[in-house]
Amino acid sequence: MSYDETEVLIVGAGVLGAATARELSKYQVDVTLVEKNVDVGWGITKANVGVVNQGKDTLEFRPEYHRSRLLWRSLTMMEPLCRELDVPFRKVGGWEMCWDMEMKGKLDKLSRRTESLGLGKDRFYWYPELKEMEPNVSDKILGGLHDPDIAVVNPVHLTQALVENAAENGVRLVLGSEVLDIKPGHHYFEVKTAGGDFRARYVINAAGEWVDKVAAMVGADDFVIFPIKGYVGVLDRRCEGLVNGLVSVLPEEPGDMNIVVPTVEGNLLFGIQLQINRRGDHSTTGDMARKALENARRLVPDISENDVINAFCGFLMLRNYEIGWHECEVGMSGRVPRFINMTIGYPGVSASPGAAAEVAEVLQKDGLKLAPDPKFNPHRKGIPDFSRLTEREKRELVKKDPRYGHVVCRCETVTEGEIVEAIRRGATTLDGVKHRVRAGMGRCQGGFCGPRVTRILARELGVPETEVTKKGEDSTQLYCRVKEMLEEGRKDG
Amino acid sequence: MAEKVDVAVIGAGPAGLAAALAAREQGAERVTIIERSERLGGLLPQCIHNGFGLLYFGEDLTGPEYERVFIQRARKAKVEARLESMVLDISPKLEMTAASSRHGYMKIKAGAVVLAMGCREKARGALGIPGGRPSGILTAGTCQRYVNMEGFIPGRRFVILGSGDIGMIMARRLTLEGAKVEAVVEIMPWPGGLIRNEVQCLHDFGIPLLLEHTVTFIHGESRIQGVTVCRVDEKRRPVPGTERYMPCDCLLLSAGLIPENELSVKAGVELDPVTGGPLVDEKRQTVVPGIFAGGNVVQVHDLVDWVSWEAEIAGKSAAVFADRDGISFHDAVRVVAGKNVKYVVPQYISGKEDVTLHLRVTRPGLKAALKLGGAARKRYRSVRPSEMIVEKVDAGKLSQAIRDGELRVDCGMGGEA
Repeated sequence: MSYDETEVLIVGAGVLGAATARELSKYQVDVTLVEKNVDVGWGITKANVGVVNQGKDTLEFRPEYHRSRLLWRSLTMMEPLCRELDVPFRKVGGWEMCWDMEMKGKLDKLSRRTESLGLGKDRFYWYPELKEMEPNVSDKILGGLHDPDIAVVNPVHLTQALVENAAENGVRLVLGSEVLDIKPGHHYFEVKTAGGDFRARYVINAAGEWVDKVAAMVGADDFVIFPIKGYVGVLDRRCEGLVNGLVSVLPEEPGDMNIVVPTVEGNLLFGIQLQINRRGDHSTTGDMARKALENARRLVPDISENDVINAFCGFLMLRNYEIGWHECEVGMSGRVPRFINMTIGYPGVSASPGAAAEVAEVLQKDGLKLAPDPKFNPHRKGIPDFSRLTEREKRELVKKDPRYGHVVCRCETVTEGEIVEAIRRGATTLDGVKHRVRAGMGRCQGGFCGPRVTRILARELGVPETEVTKKGEDSTQLYCRVKEMLEEGRKDG
Repeated sequence: MAEKVDVAVIGAGPAGLAAALAAREQGAERVTIIERSERLGGLLPQCIHNGFGLLYFGEDLTGPEYERVFIQRARKAKVEARLESMVLDISPKLEMTAASSRHGYMKIKAGAVVLAMGCREKARGALGIPGGRPSGILTAGTCQRYVNMEGFIPGRRFVILGSGDIGMIMARRLTLEGAKVEAVVEIMPWPGGLIRNEVQCLHDFGIPLLLEHTVTFIHGESRIQGVTVCRVDEKRRPVPGTERYMPCDCLLLSAGLIPENELSVKAGVELDPVTGGPLVDEKRQTVVPGIFAGGNVVQVHDLVDWVSWEAEIAGKSAAVFADRDGISFHDAVRVVAGKNVKYVVPQYISGKEDVTLHLRVTRPGLKAALKLGGAARKRYRSVRPSEMIVEKVDAGKLSQAIRDGELRVDCGMGGEA
């Protein structure tokens, strides 16, 4: 059996695995990142609302929790990271609102606690003042705490950027390589994957939805994960401006989250209906959709059913959920040497830079030599977003490359130039294109651009259109050429 | 520096072509169509079935045949066309920006603009069907493009949700291609498309039409495996216990069309919440002076003939506007959709000229009577929401029917007066 040798093998190219790969790419160390999907950021990273949490909810983030410390450590890291990687980071501010005096009492308590922990003080606004900043929230709102530092990022874009930059700095990315088995040895692990076998001194398990299953392969599963499914609805871009920042209400019952939040791109998201669910089942349900919309409309009455253009379900992987609180698992396994587990649960995206930095320290402490790589380039340039360029930039770009003048996705104004660039950077599927440059993400959900993007993918990848998939595996779009089925039938009959 | 044209038409489908032609015939010098795709004709080239032009030409044509006549006329009339050019913005001063791989980044100033962007199909998200997010779910129109233009069949076993015309036409087309259409599932108690399509595309091919049924769940994560189909009650809610699993590898959606007005809204055009199209007067002017609209961007028509006809009014009016530096919005009389009437276009009229009313009823019925201002105008043996009622009214009759600045349009059913 032949093995590819690597010093560090990271399992899972979600935001955690990607952040860790990028962190380690700063050093002269051999790193391989394996991902079971055909693209990066498609697991629980994708199904995320993209809020950069400021860690001020100190009932949720108690100082004794490891995940609070990771989050607080990340607070100053996220914005510079996004700047280096040319990933849009929008400080939109956020609200925690309340309906009545009883809830306000809770907010006051929370506010005092946050202040006493040295995390700053958020101002409370009564409804008339709050209305100046968020004119469309329900007039039944009593008031709310405002945190101007809450930001939004696109977690998939962040992951893609991290991986691109890590690869640029020498990390090897192997897609379509689901980990099938890991054998621990005295000096290295033998890792069998669908995309080849590896021999690695260290394994970092950032397998997201399947983190405990991968840990169990070596017996490092000394933690229990409870998958909580969350429903999120997507509103049309025409709703842009209905809320300016993250709008949320204190939960009235546990698990009853109610938020409306803008994305970096201008859509609004609403949710999150939570439900304990079997893993792997990402289906939305009518009940979740109804309840989420009902909640959102209670908060922002102008939201209409007709504005919902999409919905998705993601998983929160909460550790020890059953005892009423949850904790992350980031660090060396207590049972298996040189095996590191990484799972945060909530808020995974926000805490990822801090978690990645901490894992690098854990490796160093364990004896892995991490000498800074003098050739490390921290910068990565994003794909030009034609729709957001200035008039002059648009004119120049089209002149330079006429494909940027060819609008393929009309809902989101995505040009052929952007789609080709997305493919050059690793998109091999319709979803891969969609999650890089938004073609197919708008109100018609690919009805118009789907056939055109399929054709561009086939052309650029050099495959027949019948082999182009939505998201890998057997998710093809087209069954056969016209008349082939009739010929088949004739042969059979 | 913006390029100047007399009339700019956005979209080169049947509406855009007819509008541009009418504008030229009215005497507009420079008429330019701006079209985002690589050819003229809009969706007509993929509509290879017949049934086009029965009213307009008195002939039964296919989509491409219908299109050809208009394209030839437009060429002869020296209508300019900018293909592969997408209008990104229109200002209320009729200045447009457009991006194009052929013409670069453009700025155009028009004397008048005709919106002719047509409509789009409702996608899965808008229908809110629960379940997985596999491949193999597409709108009937996208499927039609794949089959008739690109030469591909997207699956071999289909369920079609919604009985819109394109869905029923694709049911027949796919059957002819050797695929199996399990059923056409319609949530309403009546089909969404024309009777002739129900008969010629479904009944003649033995394809079941399940009325008062809907898809309540999509199975599969990678490729669609099947759907759960369920009966609904009078309030369109699924009836528990009536679920059944229907295996399929493709789900087509044909459950409604939405006029494409994102660009119009940017220019300040106001929309009618019922039609989804701009509020227009009898000249097809919108509330923004100099911006006109015609075809499916105004209201979803049942026949292309009406699209051409409506766009001609818009094109002609636009030419007059550009020439005389403005005609005012005729809002003297508000047309009100009354009993059993879903909407009426135009929404505003002057009340002083002959006008043709386009309307749809809310539910089907027998022995229907169209009433204007309370007085019976015309009787129909039967009416259906899927079939548009078109009624020409002369100025004299109109003035009798208008009361307090309102023209009320009702449709009595079941022989009621």
